[in-house]
Amino acid sequence: MQVLRYLGKRALTYLVMIFLTTSAGYFLAVSSLKPALLEQEKIPRPSPEQVANSFRLLGLDPNLNPWERYIQWLGGILTRWDWGRSPNGAYVNAEFADRVMISTRLFIASIILTLIIGVALGVYSAARQYKFQDRAITSYSYLVHILPAPIAYFLVQLGAIGINDAVGERLFFVTGISTPGIEPGWPAFVDLVAHYAVPTFAMTVFGWAGYQIAQRQYLLDNVNADFVRTARAKGLTRNQAITRHALRVSFIPVAQSIAFTIPAIFTGGFFAEAIFAWPGVGLWSIDAIGKQDVNVATAMLAYGSVIFAIGAILADFATTLVDPRVRVQ
Amino acid sequence: MSSDITTQPSAVARQAVERLRDAGLYGPGDAVLSVRDLNVRFNSENGVVHAVRSVDFDLMAGKTLGIVGESGSGKSVTSMAIMGLLPETADISGSVRFKGQELLGLGDKAMCKHRGSDIAMVFQDPLSSLTPVYTVGHQIIEALTVHNPGMSSRAKEARAVELLAMVGIPSPQARLKSFPHEFSGGMRQRVMIAIAIANDPRVLIADEPTTALDVTIQAQVLEVLHAAQEETGAAVVMITHDLGVVAGMADDIMVMYAGKPVETGTVEDIYYRPRMPYTLGLLGAVPRVDTSQKSSLVPIEGTPPNLIKPVTGCTFADRCPLVTDECRTAEPALLPVVDGVTAGGGAHRAACIKSGALVDVDAHRIFHAPPVPVSKFDGVPRDERATVLELKDVKKHFPLLKGSLFKRRIGTVKAVDGLSFDIREGECLSIVGESGCGKTTTLLEIMEFHPDQVGEVVIGGVSNKAATDGKTKQAMRKEMQMVFQDPTGALDPRFTVYEVLAEPLENLGYPKDAIRKRIMELMKLVGLQPDHVNRFPNQFSGGQRQRIGIARALAVNPKLVVLDEPVSALDVSVQAGVINLLDQLRAELGLSYLMVAHDLSVVRHISNRVAVMYLGRIVEMGDVDQVFDNPRHPYTRALLSAIPVPDPELERTRERIILQGDLPSPLDAPQGCNFATRCPVFAALPQAKKDKCLTLEPPLVSEEAQQFACFFPDGEIDADMLVVHA
Repeated sequence: MQVLRYLGKRALTYLVMIFLTTSAGYFLAVSSLKPALLEQEKIPRPSPEQVANSFRLLGLDPNLNPWERYIQWLGGILTRWDWGRSPNGAYVNAEFADRVMISTRLFIASIILTLIIGVALGVYSAARQYKFQDRAITSYSYLVHILPAPIAYFLVQLGAIGINDAVGERLFFVTGISTPGIEPGWPAFVDLVAHYAVPTFAMTVFGWAGYQIAQRQYLLDNVNADFVRTARAKGLTRNQAITRHALRVSFIPVAQSIAFTIPAIFTGGFFAEAIFAWPGVGLWSIDAIGKQDVNVATAMLAYGSVIFAIGAILADFATTLVDPRVRVQ
Repeated sequence: MSSDITTQPSAVARQAVERLRDAGLYGPGDAVLSVRDLNVRFNSENGVVHAVRSVDFDLMAGKTLGIVGESGSGKSVTSMAIMGLLPETADISGSVRFKGQELLGLGDKAMCKHRGSDIAMVFQDPLSSLTPVYTVGHQIIEALTVHNPGMSSRAKEARAVELLAMVGIPSPQARLKSFPHEFSGGMRQRVMIAIAIANDPRVLIADEPTTALDVTIQAQVLEVLHAAQEETGAAVVMITHDLGVVAGMADDIMVMYAGKPVETGTVEDIYYRPRMPYTLGLLGAVPRVDTSQKSSLVPIEGTPPNLIKPVTGCTFADRCPLVTDECRTAEPALLPVVDGVTAGGGAHRAACIKSGALVDVDAHRIFHAPPVPVSKFDGVPRDERATVLELKDVKKHFPLLKGSLFKRRIGTVKAVDGLSFDIREGECLSIVGESGCGKTTTLLEIMEFHPDQVGEVVIGGVSNKAATDGKTKQAMRKEMQMVFQDPTGALDPRFTVYEVLAEPLENLGYPKDAIRKRIMELMKLVGLQPDHVNRFPNQFSGGQRQRIGIARALAVNPKLVVLDEPVSALDVSVQAGVINLLDQLRAELGLSYLMVAHDLSVVRHISNRVAVMYLGRIVEMGDVDQVFDNPRHPYTRALLSAIPVPDPELERTRERIILQGDLPSPLDAPQGCNFATRCPVFAALPQAKKDKCLTLEPPLVSEEAQQFACFFPDGEIDADMLVVHA
């Protein structure tokens, strides 16, 4: 009960924060993005009146001041849940669902895998500090940390192509979401796995480093803690004392850090979306800025804030689960 | 196995004979724990540290062995080696036998059968020794589960409740579900003891179990340990640096120095007939709370040897005033003391070639304790001396707020609640009390010196009400300086000693050559070598660093020095030198001190006057001898009775008042007398008189040179709170 009230309170705080950041983002976008200038480069060149007229019909009237446009935009969201339209006339709401679906499908498996593998390897390497396994795992993590993501993804694509060539048929697809016109059922599933394997593998293998390093470090900080010594003095073996006492304490800061990595993956996955050709949220955001699209840019900002809030609430929830001291405060 | 350190052939032969005898039966038959030739070496970056060197002892069933030594003497490493809790990299050799069964060399798993069931341990820091994320019930039950897998969970819970009740935790059933952070330090140490005795161990090792606790809580915890030992009949190894703590508890004592026992014997042997200069010095270095001491403390100069270097002679030689060339040729073996006085029949052993000549010697004379310094103010009556610091009704209340966005006041913490006292020229006033009583806040309020404070602070004639500009404040700072508790933290590690000492002088605009001259003076004044001024703080020992801190405080020639626990971070032998220095400086320079300290023995030794604080108020104040010899307030009586005295006979027979519970949170400070909730006199009062305590706040009344705030001074103490060990 106490936990629910606590989480409810946090959720309310985040709702206010999302509103504030989104509003501020809208003002920034509306005063710096000028889609009318792009229209001027069209051939035949439309007159400024034509441009203004067509934009007014889309709800993007350039002659209104930022405040009037903000009221109009906010009114649309609050009354009709309408996040506005793009300069090309497309509805933000309509495209949004597709884009989010694509991004979520691309990232969800690798997020879960990185978390599990990273934490597990962190524990494994901490328990074998300075032994060969620890040195190998941790060196790999540091190497991956300094390797830029696009290069890492290209390397995986090259590897997949190499396997395809070696086998002599196309086992893996290195780009794209699915093959058009595939018949449903088993063939569709095989096609899905063939498309899914390469990006998920790449993002997982190059993604767990952060968790591994953090979990190893926090566990090592606690392996020689006084309370682990107390547990051993009771008659627990060293390994029992570490897994029962040190692990839970060391997971507290890792649980908190998850909050800040989940939104980064969802919204900052631009490279992955571009390289594997999955047109998700990340690509859309970059495109929106290129096309001076105020409503899409703001919607993406709002989406990022929501994902961040969800991540933070999840982290809070995880913290309240593992750390009883938080509950009482 | 002969020690590889000893080079003298005759000593080797003697030792070999002894070891053969010992090896035959591995000690007497009823010894529960026999340690023979225990050696522990650690590999470090600088070389192999030989931390424990040939430790031998036998622990008899139900007896208590006290291991006494300063930091780095190897006492904790010895206990960890017995428990098998040292890191794998430690090189351990020798023999540790529990009831004749060898423990050394057992694997982690095999050792786990003994840990917690045969041998249990209580550690020093109760705050970090319990896992923060599990309830105390879970942690106690875990200890039961490990060794009794078949026990039903109902039986385990019943046993846990029984254990918590045994160590004196109120409403144990409900407290099983509490987390460690919901307990105070003293309570957590009780939980640690409950865990340790959960499986009725035969050996209980307590490693400085009360060092981190307040004196009143220390007295409670020592009582609990005592009760736990009686309940389980366990033999106890009590590791401590405090000669007072073991005096009443221990049957035998082992004094360790530089990783090796240097003197062993019964508690009477060690306290009344010490035969090793180090033991002599250690006993003389501790001030006594029960007697007015009119002699200086015994200072032991120098520092213990670095155990990375091979030992070639007596490890204490460099600090020993009796050293001769013979001492440096070989390390003396621990041999029975030969003379008619010893009662123990060979049990009393000392590692000193001169032990035979140390019968009835005065440690003060051997160690050249300085004469008691006499101040020019000592002859002047107090009323005729000028006032250097005066506090009038100083208050510091902190509002307690709740809510995240809109804060509302839900209470007030009265950290300091109406403090008035003065300090005259040449005197030392000490403020004593448990942690949380407002001692440090008082010092901070004095240092703050701001017109907006509640109450008036007058320093050297300058009032805080007039301190509206920086100039007045600067004038005040010149009158008063501070020495801090932790000498290492108080010195900037990147400043040389010269820079440390020059800073206050530069601040006051001294010319360059005057600064240089003054620094040389200061170095000599505090007993440091003037040519060490270009060294960094980390090149000095703890005692020397505190001397630098004192020199910095004295640089601007203040009249008043505020001492915040000046010696509590130092080892006993070093502490004595610093206390002597403070005494000497007060006399020579006519300084006044305001000291905050938790060690009442040090307070008694160094101060002229003492103020006892409880929950932000002074409950008793007066001349130190008067207050300590004839305490009127029940709290002062309890506080003084909580201090263990380094005298086994006295310690065993004296009555002690054991206060119930912890210092209450200043938030729920009760109506009427603050102390009523824990008061041993109040508990024994008839109901009619109790009402007075509960409704009226006792004022501070004067009687001769003593003030106290109690309606029933010298009242009868409640029998439940009085303990005598028969």
